[in-house]
Amino acid sequence: MNMKLETIETDVLVIGAGPAGSTAAKHAAMGGAEVLLVDKKSEIGTPKRCAEGVSKNGLEKLGIKPSHRWIAAEMDRVRLVSPSGIDVWLNQENVHLPETGYNLERKVFDKHMAMDAARAGSQIMVKTLAKELTLKDDYVLVKAESMGNHIEIKSKIVIGADGPESRVGRWAGLKSTSKPKNMESGVQFEMVGVELEDTRAVEFYFGSVAPGGYAWIFPKGDDIANVGLGIINSMTSKNAYHHLLDFVRECKATQKAVSVEFNVGGIPVGGPLNEFVTDNVMLVGDAAGQVNPLTGGGIISGMQAGLIAGEVAANAINEGNCSLENLKEYETRWVEENSLSFQKYLKAKEYLLSLSNEELDSIARAFQGSDFERIGPMELLGKLVKVSPKAMVKLGKIF
Amino acid sequence: MIISEFCMYCGECAGVCPRNLIEVGENTLKFGQKPCKNCQICIQVCPVSALEVEG
Ligand SMILES: Cc1cc2nc3c(=O)[nH]c(=O)nc-3n(C[C@H](O)[C@H](O)[C@H](O)COP(=O)(O)OP(=O)(O)OC[C@H]3O[C@@H](n4cnc5c(N)ncnc54)[C@H](O)[C@@H]3O)c2cc1C
Repeated sequence: MNMKLETIETDVLVIGAGPAGSTAAKHAAMGGAEVLLVDKKSEIGTPKRCAEGVSKNGLEKLGIKPSHRWIAAEMDRVRLVSPSGIDVWLNQENVHLPETGYNLERKVFDKHMAMDAARAGSQIMVKTLAKELTLKDDYVLVKAESMGNHIEIKSKIVIGADGPESRVGRWAGLKSTSKPKNMESGVQFEMVGVELEDTRAVEFYFGSVAPGGYAWIFPKGDDIANVGLGIINSMTSKNAYHHLLDFVRECKATQKAVSVEFNVGGIPVGGPLNEFVTDNVMLVGDAAGQVNPLTGGGIISGMQAGLIAGEVAANAINEGNCSLENLKEYETRWVEENSLSFQKYLKAKEYLLSLSNEELDSIARAFQGSDFERIGPMELLGKLVKVSPKAMVKLGKIF
Repeated sequence: MIISEFCMYCGECAGVCPRNLIEVGENTLKFGQKPCKNCQICIQVCPVSALEVEG
């Protein structure tokens, strides 16, 4: 890298060292490009904005070996809880459960993903905030502030991995502003003294506890768990924090729990942007809306995007052509891999949000004690439609 | 905009600002130069209600 006092030049600049950005930096560097990864944080991964659940095969597909350094606990069950407390249990072996497998220690995980990027050859600058971006003829100029120093970074490609607060896309002319109805407010306590039904089960609570979303308990080993919820603000008069206080006060599992950490974050749940690539610029992760609209999970899908974007960036650098035409391959590949399942999750979410507390209770009652091993998808739908006829219209197509 | 000291710098407000005016640093929140149209979307989405209009 050609470092003058205040101007840095590089092939690829990645803005944001979350899971999506670090994965992009790693794969761009592996492909032979000169890469700089910047993050405004002084410690990558901290504070976390996450309940920390990921699927095992998601990580496996990305070629990431599980490490005891960043896995807090393993999960193989899901407990779904209706408003009046009726629960339905699902097992990992019988049902494909997104975002279930490992509960991570994100602060450590994110840092390790950045280390992998560095090992692949990427440079990293922490405490470096991107403040402005201008598209030039054949490069991108980014103004940034690094520990009080104003610097300019000239790169051939910028990968915007700047999370739910993303500004990079809009600087580059992409329509990436989240509508408030598509932005969930997530709040969470990490707690100790949580009395769990099963330390290997993630729990989801539905209904008016979390208007527009759901509440969760994600265990992290022993009596520790992330206890949080996501809401859509226009669907309630209380803020997310107050909903969380109510939930923790009412929930059986948290009667004796004490919080040691408070986490906050926006979750873009409107589905991926229509366009997340333009000349010299690609968006990955939350910045591109690559979050499962049903669960709010975005670690794996963002990392998948990072992998593809990194590879495509390295190729474009090798070919000397960083135009939209050449970068578009990233968008096409990501959409091919994900758009079908995202459409299903969007439909399922619309249906879920249309249900009242009473409807949720009667569905839970119908499925309580069900042996999901023996129920095929059509039988499942049939059973659901009996108690909730509108499921036919809302969900029929996705089964 | 009045920013309370309990702002968590999570950046949700920045993601929804239709004019892309909000800069979220590690421990700073700044509203940019372009005129704010006072749509107050940032105030509505804040998970901890840390934003308030001046005056
Ligand atoms: C409460 C909550 C619970 C969640 N639970 C889960 C879960 O259980 N499982 C799951 O898969 N997902 C979950 N998610 C979503 C998940 O956290 C995100 O999808 C994931 O972090 C996205 O990764 P990313 O790399 O795109 O962005 P981020 O992880 O948000 O990283 C973006 C990075 O960019 C940096 N940055 C931003 N702007 C700039 C700038 N201008 N200059 C320099 N750096 C900048 C930030 O500091 C940050 O480090 C949850 C989210 C929330 C809020």
